[in-house]
Amino acid sequence: MSVNIDEGNIKQGLLGLVVALVEVIQEVLERQAVRRMEGGRLNDQEIERLGLALADLKAALDNIKKDNDLDATVESVRRDLDKVTNDMICNLLGPASVGIERT
Amino acid sequence: MNESLGNLAIQEGRYLYAIINSGAEFCFGDIGVNDNKVYTISHEDIAAVVHSCKAEAYKTNDNDRAKEWILAHNYVIDYSSKQFGTVLPFAFDCIIRGSDETIKNWLIRNYEKLAKELEKVENKAEYSVQFFCDPEKLREMVTNSDLELKELKEKMDQSSKGAAYLIKRQFELKMKDAVSVELSMLANDLCSKIREHVDILKVDKNTSILDKYKGMKQIAAFSCLVHNDKIENLGEALDVINKLDGFAVRFTGPWAPFSFVEMKDE
Repeated sequence: MSVNIDEGNIKQGLLGLVVALVEVIQEVLERQAVRRMEGGRLNDQEIERLGLALADLKAALDNIKKDNDLDATVESVRRDLDKVTNDMICNLLGPASVGIERT
Repeated sequence: MNESLGNLAIQEGRYLYAIINSGAEFCFGDIGVNDNKVYTISHEDIAAVVHSCKAEAYKTNDNDRAKEWILAHNYVIDYSSKQFGTVLPFAFDCIIRGSDETIKNWLIRNYEKLAKELEKVENKAEYSVQFFCDPEKLREMVTNSDLELKELKEKMDQSSKGAAYLIKRQFELKMKDAVSVELSMLANDLCSKIREHVDILKVDKNTSILDKYKGMKQIAAFSCLVHNDKIENLGEALDVINKLDGFAVRFTGPWAPFSFVEMKDE
């Protein structure tokens, strides 16, 4: 299992990896925030504050990607991370079975 | 000298293309991989389609050469199918160490199983069916049928910036789940529409998607074993689905039944 980083441009590759990881963390935070909002554990002020903070984080990440031309690199790292995660899940659960239906 | 002859005997092999439903001794000519002479080795009413080779795998770093080999392999299987009806195909590079006698003994040992498999695929062929849907159409279908999504959309438009951001994320997460459920329901629905026209239907999880369909969402892909008498009805059923607004069907075949043949040596 490995994540490929662009060796031709180590700075961009490393920055892409960091941004991809922050994006993943941001998505986890957003899911948690939505879950708490749905569960009624946040009041209106907290929802507004949390929403603005997450929106600012998203805008900052988008700007970093745009300024450093990182869209393709981040997408590639995210794809690799998905593959690593899928491989880990497959190893834990075993290979997916193929369904066969007969008429 | 004897040792040398012994090594030669060990290195001899037969490249397997298919098992056919005929006991005829037949020579196909030099149409095999690397222009090898292809012929049959028979036992009772079945035969193996082979060429003589060394007992070692075909390996190359040259992509063009590899493509040529695979095309030749598939050509022999197609040719065998045209001559003798549906065959039991082997994957590329299946080689048995030994002589014609070895193949004959293998046929004798596995005769009942091979004959049964040939009977299973007689007058049938494999087809591939892929169903696609326009993702926008899919989201529209889901939003129209899900009251909660409709309400979230309205709430999002009326909220302040921070709350609207979180509600938008909530909407997107729910939409993703709803699309996944809708895709599963559509797959079951489409499967039930073609089931009566196929003999065996197998979910195909490794199918590639052509560039033509890259912007669309794949609902499901199936490998289908279809009797020749049913193929027209299957084509008509798929045509109806293909004409539905936002849907597309990719229907390919006929092929030798690679996905439906189980051959294990006993």
